[in-house]
Amino acid sequence: MPVQVNSIRTRAGAGRLPVVIALRVGRTLLLILCAAAGTILLVRFAPGFFSDSREMDARYAQAARTEIQSENSPQESIVQVVCREFGSWIKGDFGESRQYHVPVADLIGARLQVSALLLVQGILLGWLLALCAALPVSGLRKGGYLWGAPFTLLLAIPTAAMATACILANAGGPILVLSLLITAREFKFLRSLLADAWRAPHLLQGRAQGLSLHALVRLHIFPNIVPQLCALTTLSIVTALGALVPIEAIFTVPGVGQLAWSAVINRDLPVLVAISLLMAFVVGLAGMLATRTLALEAV
Amino acid sequence: MKMRLSAALLLLLVLGATLVLRVTPFDYAFQDRDAIMAPATALHSTGTDELGRDRTVRVAAALLIGLAGATAAAAITTTIAACFGLLAAFSPPSIAAMLMFLSDVFLSLPWFFLLMMARSLLPLTASPLVTAMVTFLVLAALGWPACARAIYRDATALRSAEWMIQGHACGLKTRQLIRLHLVPHLRPLLLPQFLICVPAFIVAEANLGALGLGVGEPMPSWGAMLLELDNSALLARSFWVYLPIALLVVVLLILESFTAEVETYG
Repeated sequence: MPVQVNSIRTRAGAGRLPVVIALRVGRTLLLILCAAAGTILLVRFAPGFFSDSREMDARYAQAARTEIQSENSPQESIVQVVCREFGSWIKGDFGESRQYHVPVADLIGARLQVSALLLVQGILLGWLLALCAALPVSGLRKGGYLWGAPFTLLLAIPTAAMATACILANAGGPILVLSLLITAREFKFLRSLLADAWRAPHLLQGRAQGLSLHALVRLHIFPNIVPQLCALTTLSIVTALGALVPIEAIFTVPGVGQLAWSAVINRDLPVLVAISLLMAFVVGLAGMLATRTLALEAV
Repeated sequence: MKMRLSAALLLLLVLGATLVLRVTPFDYAFQDRDAIMAPATALHSTGTDELGRDRTVRVAAALLIGLAGATAAAAITTTIAACFGLLAAFSPPSIAAMLMFLSDVFLSLPWFFLLMMARSLLPLTASPLVTAMVTFLVLAALGWPACARAIYRDATALRSAEWMIQGHACGLKTRQLIRLHLVPHLRPLLLPQFLICVPAFIVAEANLGALGLGVGEPMPSWGAMLLELDNSALLARSFWVYLPIALLVVVLLILESFTAEVETYG
């Protein structure tokens, strides 16, 4: 009988699957659009966005400063700005950078590969370190706090300080800093996830039956924690994206994070909005994949 | 026991910092032009920075400003999250879905990036005090979405609890139910959320400051003091340059240990 129930559920689930996926994709797209519109709104209403550093330069005469101020003052309403921006994006035009005077798409495109490589390497190394540390520690009955101490210490060091320390010590680089940050963040979650998995009744039975450690991990632990691991991966991507800015700025890595920092310092609206869109897209995509995995589990 | 020890250590640090500011004759902005980048002396116990400002005073002030700012920001963000989560939990499903969607919009951008962007939009001529206040206000304004989701989830579960239904049946208004019954039940969630925010905001301010987007000079902050580490001439002269980062790590470790204990034992 349970087999019949399962097959009915599977068939019903298979019917619902395209709807679930379509809803998820639609929601993610809406989220990205809202994030982009929110960025434009934030920028449009920010008190200092339209100010120019030349306004404070004593070499400029008062008349020149007033002219600069009027040049930079917003001419369009918020609806016009949002409509114009969205219209341009549909055509694939992300505007021109205010500081570099080149198309934003070209500017980001050239740096995307550098950041993507850094992100992938940092996250993979971070996860590898976190898993290697969490797997043995999660099985311990005593001393877990002691083994977790280095990771707690890593969590207490700001990313910028970690990056500066690496430069001062002339050791390590952006990948190491990013991976250490990911390791410190994920170790705690992985340890508690794995500790729960070790305590599961079916695992106790498996151990009692003499299954090897390798078989237990491969056949029982990992398949059971895959959905949670997917959710954690999303968290890692968000963490890594956030850390990308200080890491790339301090190590002078010519990536998207450094561009974002430079755009923030120089109040480069088109670049900032385009990077927000890109970040929202990456986070939305990662979130969608993680939630989709969980949704498929439920189906 | 650990919780008390952490609280005592933190209190000791705060009292020590206050004492330093009271006892030392210098202001945090005072520049001793005869002692630029000076090593530890009788006058300046941990030396001075590149502008001749006393490091002990600046570290003490940075500790107090950082802790006070982060605590206030954490209180504001937890309040916003609680209001938002409770509003969503007691609203019709369509409005609740919209409110949660709004929190998802905030979560769809990496927090630090959003923070950096919001902080950068200040006028260029803002005073140090204004930049400090705005930095912590921006932290408070952007830190609530994840916390609001957790509160919404718990409040929704509690809303259908038997004692809530009985309260309703007894004629209690929604406001009374929230104030008298729901908020006390949510306290085990709200307190750790508040405590988690404090070290997170301190770290965020330090990272922002290290990128030149934190509290404006001459007001001391952890972030601005991290920038000292870029000065190789200063590093070669005195190991006291590492004092701010060492103290920052100690403060963060104490706060994290305290939070972990509260989470575990309530």
